[in-house]
Amino acid sequence: MVLSARRTEPVTLLQRERALRPDILLILAYLALSGLGLVMIYSASAPRLLADGENPASLVRRQMVFALVGIGMFILASLIEHRTLKMLAPIAYVGSLISLIVVLFMPIVAGANRWIDFGFFQFQPSELAKVALILALAAMLAASRDKALHWTEIVRSVALVAVPAFLIFKQPDLGTMLVFGFVAVVMVFSAGTTWRQFAFLTIAAVVGSISLFKVGAIAEYQLIRITAFLDSTADAADSNYNLIQSKIAIGSGGLFGRGLFEGQQTNLSFVPEQSTDFIFTAIGEQLGFIGAIVVIGLFAVITWRLLVAAANGRDRFSQLVAIGVAAMLVFHVFVNIGMTVRITPVTGLPLPFLSAGGTAYIAMSIALGLGHSVWMRRSPVPVDVDI
Amino acid sequence: MKSGWRLGAIGFVFMAMFAILTLQLWQVQVVESKDYLEEALASQVKVVHTPAPRGEIVDRAGRQLAGTTAALSAVVDGALVPKEAVEDLVSLLAAFTGMDAEDVTHIVEDARTRGDRRVVMSDLEESDAIFLAEHREEFVGVSVVPIPQRTYPYENLASGVLGYIGQPDERDIEDGASSTDILGRAGLEKTYDDQLQGTEGSIKFQVDAFRSVLDVLGEEFPEPGKTLILELDIELQTVLEKALTDGLELARQKYNPAGCDPGDVDEGTDDKGCPVRAVGVVLNAKDGAVLAMASVPNFDPGLFVNFDAAEYDSLPEGALTNFAVQGQYAPASTFKALTYAMAMEEGIAPEGVNSVEDEILCSGQLAKPLGDGSQQVFFNWTRSDDGLQDLHDALMRSCNTYFWEVAYALWNDYKGTEQENLLQNWAREVGFDAKTNIDLPFEKTGIIPDRDLFETWATNDDPRLDPNRLAFESPWFGGDLFQAAVGQGSVLSTPIQLAVSYAALVNGGTVWQPRVVKEIRTEDGLLVERNAAVALNIVEDLEPSTVRALRNDLQRVVNNPRGTAYSAFTDFGPMVDQVGGKTGTAEIIKKRFNDNGDVIQDSVSTALFVGVAPIDDPEYVVVVIIERGGSGGGIAAPTAKPVLQHLLNQPVTDVEAGLVAD
Repeated sequence: MVLSARRTEPVTLLQRERALRPDILLILAYLALSGLGLVMIYSASAPRLLADGENPASLVRRQMVFALVGIGMFILASLIEHRTLKMLAPIAYVGSLISLIVVLFMPIVAGANRWIDFGFFQFQPSELAKVALILALAAMLAASRDKALHWTEIVRSVALVAVPAFLIFKQPDLGTMLVFGFVAVVMVFSAGTTWRQFAFLTIAAVVGSISLFKVGAIAEYQLIRITAFLDSTADAADSNYNLIQSKIAIGSGGLFGRGLFEGQQTNLSFVPEQSTDFIFTAIGEQLGFIGAIVVIGLFAVITWRLLVAAANGRDRFSQLVAIGVAAMLVFHVFVNIGMTVRITPVTGLPLPFLSAGGTAYIAMSIALGLGHSVWMRRSPVPVDVDI
Repeated sequence: MKSGWRLGAIGFVFMAMFAILTLQLWQVQVVESKDYLEEALASQVKVVHTPAPRGEIVDRAGRQLAGTTAALSAVVDGALVPKEAVEDLVSLLAAFTGMDAEDVTHIVEDARTRGDRRVVMSDLEESDAIFLAEHREEFVGVSVVPIPQRTYPYENLASGVLGYIGQPDERDIEDGASSTDILGRAGLEKTYDDQLQGTEGSIKFQVDAFRSVLDVLGEEFPEPGKTLILELDIELQTVLEKALTDGLELARQKYNPAGCDPGDVDEGTDDKGCPVRAVGVVLNAKDGAVLAMASVPNFDPGLFVNFDAAEYDSLPEGALTNFAVQGQYAPASTFKALTYAMAMEEGIAPEGVNSVEDEILCSGQLAKPLGDGSQQVFFNWTRSDDGLQDLHDALMRSCNTYFWEVAYALWNDYKGTEQENLLQNWAREVGFDAKTNIDLPFEKTGIIPDRDLFETWATNDDPRLDPNRLAFESPWFGGDLFQAAVGQGSVLSTPIQLAVSYAALVNGGTVWQPRVVKEIRTEDGLLVERNAAVALNIVEDLEPSTVRALRNDLQRVVNNPRGTAYSAFTDFGPMVDQVGGKTGTAEIIKKRFNDNGDVIQDSVSTALFVGVAPIDDPEYVVVVIIERGGSGGGIAAPTAKPVLQHLLNQPVTDVEAGLVAD
């Protein structure tokens, strides 16, 4: 039986308004994660700030500002109409390329030029570039109405990804490059590759990575970080210190956790970079396995809602945007949490909505808002899902 | 939903990724959680060990010979020294302490490995302590804390008995010692190390990731080591050491009026004729308590507290050794008291007389063709005839000939029978040929030779046996018994054995186990252990009449003008009639002449004297041995004199040479 597009009721304005109804589950999960993030950032940063003689709430206050801005951006992004968005895609792409070039001329901080300093705020162009890439790729792939992609489109997609990826590689920011790769593969696959094309893309990615290693383009510290997670017995004093401390913190949380603000490893500053990249260790130690799976569950809910939005997307562009956002989110979660329990390498990817940081939070909120807008403007009728 | 499978596949992959995370979290947080919790707790606690003060050593009157004070020390806390700071710290500390960079590195790395404190420099000058405190920032992880430190208020006094301490070597660490421990290396410090050490305390700190201390979780105070209360008497010890020092100096001046230095064999600077050391023991004859014991030259045990390599290198050879228990000497004529007792108890008289009460001529030389390879002619020390003597006179005059005749009679009557070893068995009964089990380490056994021993040596090609002996049916000759009867040949005794045996012979036959420590008490004075007097043996066959005769004859050695020690005691004082003794002179290098009859090598002898007082009811036995010092009557007896004067409450007079007498 074929589900026909014939409907008994006429399309009315009322119908359209119904379509604009927001996705309450997605919003609740987003707000819950953001709220939890603020609590966790406070718990992880307060003891250190106190020890340094500073206001224990200073970091969390900063993050609250980012959260407010981020939520505002989420609302704005949710309301953008998909045709407007499609027109904005090339501008966003070119804009992000420019900012990625500009950042290369910025002073080096912590071994990389990754930030543009606005005084009150360090802007990280690569975070927004992730969103721009999703839009650009979706726009390009949506142009093909065919079920299968042509090789030319594959090559164009690779080129579209390769340019910003190269600029990010120059920073260097290995984590963001991996995000680009993962998002691109998922989106191209969704857009309808043949198995042969998919195999080609995979091989190209592998060969590309290996040649980067071969020419020594990847810094040694990155290699050590990448391989460190494989060796669980390596000397705790060296590169593995972060990982071992992070695993100890999470493991000592047990099933129910040590209790909020009772995390000894957290309070005693045993885990480095705990407010940012290693925020999940604060959750693991204080809230235990239960808290950890609640967090993963909230991410799963958002992912599910984004995929449902994709399934109901008004057009191919919207569908691809929702999928791209979902892929980006999942990849961040997987690599970040995986890093804290040593199943993925340390790449410096933040945990969405939880890690302290301005650009990352805002960029992720914009991305989520774009995905949400797909749901808001979903087709009132069952659509042809082209993916 | 035509191509919806791709979306489904993506959803499946995404959910699988979440599932992988969940499974791994289950593994870490539920399955392995306990391990991580333990690790977390361990990394939040830092334990700093606080060394226990070492127990005191005091003399019988409670005067402190070894104590412990708190000295300011520079310690490096390994947990506070990051890897990258090691190099700078080592060069700073090496410059500050003057130690080798290698040694400093060793200490710093050890501290880092154990995450605990190690002393870099102890007993800091105040200015150094202030300098370190002011430069805390540069000296990463270094702090100045009071650390218990051993002190020896009397410096060299009784050093041979006290011994010394040291840091553990690799083997000690294998045996479970910690590298911060202080271990007893010699003397009482070694024997009673367990009691002296006490129990280390600890402080548990809660620390954060930067090892900064947040809180004190608990403290266990160190338990100080036990106090050793010695039988030793510091005043007597002082008299003994002064006498030994004076006696050694006198002996050296007699050898060469300009003085001499025994030098070092290894460095080729040795002078074999120069008196090398003086050893003395004062034993309570009634219970075996060691009242004084010394070996000169000696050392200051404080040298090992903050080890001073230059001072260590400048010590004379053997200064660290307690020769009173580790030195083995031919007892020579002092052994005649034992042969004397054996002859009386076993009724062994020289050939041609009925008993030891009958006189024979103490001839200047004795020819006894034993026909077994033994030497044929034996010379008495007097070289000329010394008149008619019975056993009593023979002891007083130290007549070798008489004791050889006794040995000859014994050999003739019993050789090859079970009673062949009568003399040796008597020697063993009174304590020779076995450790006395004194509470000091490294005690030597001495040697009482007999046929069995020589045959064992022959079987093992022992270098101590003349290889020419191997050609004979038995390597044990009658001449060997001759030598043994006068304490020469292969006979060896430690000074403490000599003291113990004399105590047994004059106290009626009780062989006491000598002991330095009287009691062990806690720091607060509670009795932990009392070293009661222990008899190693009671010589049942020793008749009171023999003991009385021996005392009387020992008294004549000192008091009869013909006694070998008479000249040494002329200025002793009125109590001299309560002093008995026996001299001994052990020739260790024979006099040699060239073809023209000129002396090319003077004989070198070790001088011995064993004094007993008060002779009516002997309480003290004093042994003095001056290695290469000359004759017993000439130098050993004069050296023992002030000690005996002190014991009998006589004014102490200087050591002055006596007449040369065996």
